[in-house]
Amino acid sequence: MSKQSILVTAFTSFFLFSCSEQTDVPEPLQNGLIYCSEGNPESFNPQRVTSGTTVDATASQLYDRLIDYDAEQQAFVSALATDWQALDNGQRYRFKLRQGVTFHSTDYFTPTRTFNADDVVFSFRRWLDSEAPYHSVGGGFYPFFAATGLDQLISDVEKVDPYTVDIVLTHPDSSFLANLATDFAIILSKEYADQLTLKGHQALIDKQPIGTGPFKFVAFKKDYHIRYHRHENYWRQGPEIERLVFSITPNANKRMLKLVTGECDVIPYPLVSELKSLNREEIEVRSEVSPNVSFWAFNTQRPPFDDPQVRQALSYAINRKAIIDTIYYGNAELAESILPPTSWASTDAELEYQYNPDKARKMLREAGIQPGFKMDIWAIPVQRVYNPNARRMAELMQSDLAEVGVDVRIISYEWNTFRRRLSRSEHDSVLIGWYADNADPDNFFRPLLSCAAVASGSNRANWCHTGFDQILYQAISTTDNAERKQLYHAAQQLLMQQQPLLPIAHSMRYQAQREYVKGVELPPYGGISFRLAGKEQPAQ
Amino acid sequence: MTRYLMTRLFYFFLALLVLSVVTFALNWLFPGDPLTNMSGIREGQAAYEVTLTSRSFDSTIIQQYLNYLEHIVRLDWGVSLSTGTDVWQDAATYLVVSAELLLLSFLVAVVIGMPLGMLAANYFRHNIDKFILTSAMTGYSIPVFWLAQLLILLFAVQIEWLPITGQINPLYAIDSITGSVIIDILLSDSQYKLAALQDAILHLVLPVLTLSSLPSMLLLRITRNQTIEVLQKPYVKAARARGLSQQRLLFRHALPNVLQDVLPQMTFIFGLMMANLVIVEHIFNWPGAGAWLLKAIIERDYPIIQMVLFTLMALILVLNLLVEVYRGWRFPMTREERYGGY
Repeated sequence: MSKQSILVTAFTSFFLFSCSEQTDVPEPLQNGLIYCSEGNPESFNPQRVTSGTTVDATASQLYDRLIDYDAEQQAFVSALATDWQALDNGQRYRFKLRQGVTFHSTDYFTPTRTFNADDVVFSFRRWLDSEAPYHSVGGGFYPFFAATGLDQLISDVEKVDPYTVDIVLTHPDSSFLANLATDFAIILSKEYADQLTLKGHQALIDKQPIGTGPFKFVAFKKDYHIRYHRHENYWRQGPEIERLVFSITPNANKRMLKLVTGECDVIPYPLVSELKSLNREEIEVRSEVSPNVSFWAFNTQRPPFDDPQVRQALSYAINRKAIIDTIYYGNAELAESILPPTSWASTDAELEYQYNPDKARKMLREAGIQPGFKMDIWAIPVQRVYNPNARRMAELMQSDLAEVGVDVRIISYEWNTFRRRLSRSEHDSVLIGWYADNADPDNFFRPLLSCAAVASGSNRANWCHTGFDQILYQAISTTDNAERKQLYHAAQQLLMQQQPLLPIAHSMRYQAQREYVKGVELPPYGGISFRLAGKEQPAQ
Repeated sequence: MTRYLMTRLFYFFLALLVLSVVTFALNWLFPGDPLTNMSGIREGQAAYEVTLTSRSFDSTIIQQYLNYLEHIVRLDWGVSLSTGTDVWQDAATYLVVSAELLLLSFLVAVVIGMPLGMLAANYFRHNIDKFILTSAMTGYSIPVFWLAQLLILLFAVQIEWLPITGQINPLYAIDSITGSVIIDILLSDSQYKLAALQDAILHLVLPVLTLSSLPSMLLLRITRNQTIEVLQKPYVKAARARGLSQQRLLFRHALPNVLQDVLPQMTFIFGLMMANLVIVEHIFNWPGAGAWLLKAIIERDYPIIQMVLFTLMALILVLNLLVEVYRGWRFPMTREERYGGY
């Protein structure tokens, strides 16, 4: 073949390709869905992390839980457990397990048996029992369970028969079922773990995951994509799509562009105002009231932030109303407390610290803080539901605080480094937030502000108050909601007095998608789920 | 020729050596533990003690440097600080990805730049020449990152012809074996090879166009200027007087002499493209060495930074050497020009 004819062939074939493009969509594209996620998952096991990015990529896709929470009915519904009951005055829960549930069959694992009680015991012991063989795999750190105290609450997990499991508690706890229904209490395969032990590759359990969920893991290329295939023998209604790809796109502008060009079908954290201004009818923006809060936490173990008066004074200096308008474009509610107004335990008490620079200045002087005082604000480097632009928010606060004579330096690292340094308490104060994992109000208090959470690193204020802990403890040991509401009210009053953190906003949660995507709902609690995802075939 | 070759080789290895001293020194200039920066193994990890001796950190600095050289020769660049995987193993595909993009863009640059340059020279001071030159100046002055945005806005957002990120739609599930997307598709056992290939080519258009814009304009200008110069030489006039057609004159007589002077510029152009590669790969989410380097810089992953910097620079040196050797062989005059004698 001469050079010319090669060229000619290349050109003609290129044009032939281009022409055939519109006529038929190749099958892999028809049956696949691309979700442009905002970052890399840290692990493929949600037991080990609390970051929303990881939960989105793993929990509802790869795994199932014993029970689910149905936000519409406001009730717990069965998942891998068909039935459950509380025994011994709420100190023992008995779960009947579903039969015939299959694990993923992949090129690295072929299950020989279906799901049974051994898997439940194995999955719970992994984080519960520090003697368990898999406990220390991957570091032996299970932040959600440590922060909620679930690892202290459960004293044992017992197999009664192959399809019955008992979970024994040290004391009755009304938030127990809610915690079981979170994205973190997932079920792993014991058979897979045993095989890995034989091969000596224990660490693979979180890198090449096996679960019972609607999708199975195929491949992960860091910074580029994660690929999943449909789990064909899923025990309940599964997705219509056969392939699911998480295309990792940290840049919010690029995510929006990719949605416009059709390279993404669904994107999280869209730039809502800009997307709306594009005014494209093939793109849908969905929103959901979501239980979250963004706050400014002071590192209360560092002077002068160990003095409540300093924290109060700084709180008075912040113009939160302006923040809502500038950062959230009004798509958020001013936070009066750490607990969102949608929670049943919420009260309509107003936060005392409304913008008042004069008062802030006066209180600062009283507390012995001179003009020119220097402090750091750490701003998270990623967009979260609760905070679309922490850096910009920090800049606004910088100018607010300059008004009262406080000199602010804004600090930001790459996300993983940021979290690592934060848990080492290197910060003066941090702009971060919380996204509820379950419907129980306890989820806003214990993981964020209890003494146990100081140890587990999720208490960003490093604030440990025994009186406060006691109230929280009382609140979870009763099931009477009226009494609990009162206790949480007291907790919030104490919080307002002590002010270890300044609540800023409760944001709406947004997601943008092409109009032909269906079944990708925003669950109010926990990560995104593609279990019912499908596509309406675009009309040609 | 032998002497010429020897001197070129000598300078090549000298440059490599200097380069390795620089990357070696970087380990001390970066913050933190030099051994960690070099090997990617942190203090406190079990392998740290072993690495301490295997990298001669218990010995003199000269010994450490020699040891470092030895590791480079064995392509042992340590492990990544953020993922803990072997740097060279990861690098292999990233480098091929970039090579594909670079070569294609270079090819496009040559195909666009040189003929247009000759055309302009042929119509020296005519309107065609002015038009080509003006557009070349414009193209030359547009920064790559801005051009990329413009192209994205036009071809992806406004008329929705072309995709903007990655090598291929990930739903095609083409495994990255070599890194070159076209080769990977041909190697794969996918049922949809043709559709995948088409998709990959569409993905290539914008990055290649962006990356080739600057070098093609540069090549255009160099080719034009050289051609004009050559066309005014007496031998061309003589040939014309003998009645040779303009076409034959241009391609048979002028082109080889033009090439002689354009060739050394190619390495310079290649160096420029390397710099732009980082930007283009980042903008178009191209999984190549440039984007990888940028990410490593942001994450302060020193073993990767060292490895990519060294490899890219070494690549330019190798290319430089090849061009020089080719020129020395093909155009013996250049040997004498530089060093006198042969």
